[in-house]
Amino acid sequence: MSVGIRLSGLSWHPYGRATPVLADVDLVIGDGERVGIVGPSGAGKSTLLHAMAGVLGDTQPGDLSGTVERAGRVGLVLQDPASATVADRIGRDVAFGPENIGLPREQIWQRVRTSLDRVQLRHDLSRPTSALSGGERQRLALAGMLALEPRVMLLDEATSMLDADHAAQVRAAVLDAVADRRTTLVVVDHHIGEWLAHLDRVILLSADGGLTEVTDPAQLVADHATALTAAGVWLPGVAAPEPVPAPAGLVAPDSAGPTLQVDELGIDLVSRRLRGATRTVAVDGLSLTIPSGALTALTGPSGAGKSTVLAALAGLLSTTRGTITGTAEPLSQLGSVDLAGTAGWVPQTAEHGFVTTSVRDEVRFTSARLGRPVAVDEVLEHLRLSQVADANPYRISGGEQRRLALAAALAHRPGLVAADEPTVGQDRHTWAAVAGWLRSAAVGGATVIAATHDDGLTAMADLEHGLERP
Amino acid sequence: MRGSLGRANPLALVALAVLGMVAAVAVRDLVTGLVLVAMMVVAGTIALPRHSGPAWRWIVILLAAGSTGWSTWLVGEHDLSIAATAALRVSVLALPGVALAPLVDPANLADQLAQRLKLPARGVVAVGAALQRIDLMAETWHQLVRARRARGAGPGRGPVSKIGHIVSVTFALLVATMRQASAMAVAMDARGFATAQRRTWAELAPWSRGDSIWVALGVAHAVIGHGLWVMA
Repeated sequence: MSVGIRLSGLSWHPYGRATPVLADVDLVIGDGERVGIVGPSGAGKSTLLHAMAGVLGDTQPGDLSGTVERAGRVGLVLQDPASATVADRIGRDVAFGPENIGLPREQIWQRVRTSLDRVQLRHDLSRPTSALSGGERQRLALAGMLALEPRVMLLDEATSMLDADHAAQVRAAVLDAVADRRTTLVVVDHHIGEWLAHLDRVILLSADGGLTEVTDPAQLVADHATALTAAGVWLPGVAAPEPVPAPAGLVAPDSAGPTLQVDELGIDLVSRRLRGATRTVAVDGLSLTIPSGALTALTGPSGAGKSTVLAALAGLLSTTRGTITGTAEPLSQLGSVDLAGTAGWVPQTAEHGFVTTSVRDEVRFTSARLGRPVAVDEVLEHLRLSQVADANPYRISGGEQRRLALAAALAHRPGLVAADEPTVGQDRHTWAAVAGWLRSAAVGGATVIAATHDDGLTAMADLEHGLERP
Repeated sequence: MRGSLGRANPLALVALAVLGMVAAVAVRDLVTGLVLVAMMVVAGTIALPRHSGPAWRWIVILLAAGSTGWSTWLVGEHDLSIAATAALRVSVLALPGVALAPLVDPANLADQLAQRLKLPARGVVAVGAALQRIDLMAETWHQLVRARRARGAGPGRGPVSKIGHIVSVTFALLVATMRQASAMAVAMDARGFATAQRRTWAELAPWSRGDSIWVALGVAHAVIGHGLWVMA
């Protein structure tokens, strides 16, 4: 069998880290082979893929040694589709790769059309990329990779931000592209289960950088479930973890949260751009009741306005039509400190919520503003953040940031808790900590609302409100 | 003719903005200023497409012209004509740029810079990619403001607190943008940008007769301005 990718003695040691992320890795992946890489957060799965793609060291300085051999052109799709968009129209975005490899103009457009067709993105080529939903953007990124006609396709958590339907669409497009058995496929995915039936081999990456090979993917769960589950990896057929309950003293509000009554709510969003303002209807005619002492899940397809409704409920957006009642004053009209006293909001991107320079200060900040006591050490201990208590919030791992964002937004025990996709893309440990905190807050009397497309979180909610695209 | 600036080449638009600056140098008296501004207003009224960009940008011009005129009036011994001339000079300087900036299509500009001006492809592509991300920055800004408000770190009533808030959000936006930019750099390199030796371009970079006419009009405008100044 000829070689698709060969790593020989590959080591990668970013400057400023005590230990290398990859140490003397030898790995051969055959031409046309389909391989999954599985391991706990921080084991270096993404790093390994970036090394295969030849983009390691592009944006982070470090020591790279060893060699990487590739059968031909390599294409890489990343987790965050927004970061992969390079042009303002979809046709031109897909054309970016073919332009880079110097194809003549007619061939470029032929490839653009074929690739968009393969991912079933059938919009006009001049449609603005900014008008695409998250799921559509990820398929656009995939089309951009397919247009390069790579010999090796690398997917780095390419479906983890997507809801189940969109994830299935992306998977189907990928599997269709490698159906000829001439294209090599390497997949890193938090939820490897959906890929397993299509893989030839699975490589286990342990936290210390060691590699173990599983030659029969069907045996992965049978042989390795205990160790992988303990390491936080999601596996098919293994039940979701039990949410870890938080002590009532850390999460229960002093008095019960409000019961919110939403009547005929409508919100228009105005996006101001260089080229002028555009007004879109994000939500319309929405009526629902959100009780206190319960966890309510806001669900629905991407573009249905989940985040928008959540922000309005938390008093962060004004309503265009209709009303939200249940609080003494409309939350959107309160000053910042008064609002924080009533409501807490966990942003979808953890980093956007940070306002200080240490993990400890982050947990303390809002409580200090309100003059409320907060057991900082206990909160850090409960969320397994004690060892990074003095670190900069921007310098801790993704899972740690997610848990810190939760504590930063909610440690002052607000009566109304609003969390935007709080569990997306997280390993089992962080999932259990986040879900447990929300659950305990609801038990303690808070009004807890989560905008989510995570079926596991929805399953443990007391109520589910499905939104539809307006 | 109507709305024709909407179809103009981005290079022609940039040229018009630069020629506006050249013309502004000639505004030393009221007549020159009035003539030059009038020419711009007439051209803009006819040739700017409807709804081309945010309306508030005209207020920026009024503020700039108004504040310049006012301060000149204060220091210039309350001479109305000197003050008005200063206000008109600022208008001639800023009007074309402010009017035309929303018409520049980033991808189109990149095509022109690379194919017509033969600037290095790497830099041009990077600039084009960065320009189309301004929308994303606006979205990030909203998220940062919301998170601060929900955490009791929103702005208070006083101007000092408001300015401090803007500084804090701006800094966070800078950090977020740098992170997004490095993710984008990886994504671009993963699509062959790192190894691009001989890059091609998916779209043409046409230059039409209309573009030449616009540049000629811009030159004429500046020449008339300087002519009036010499004659005065």
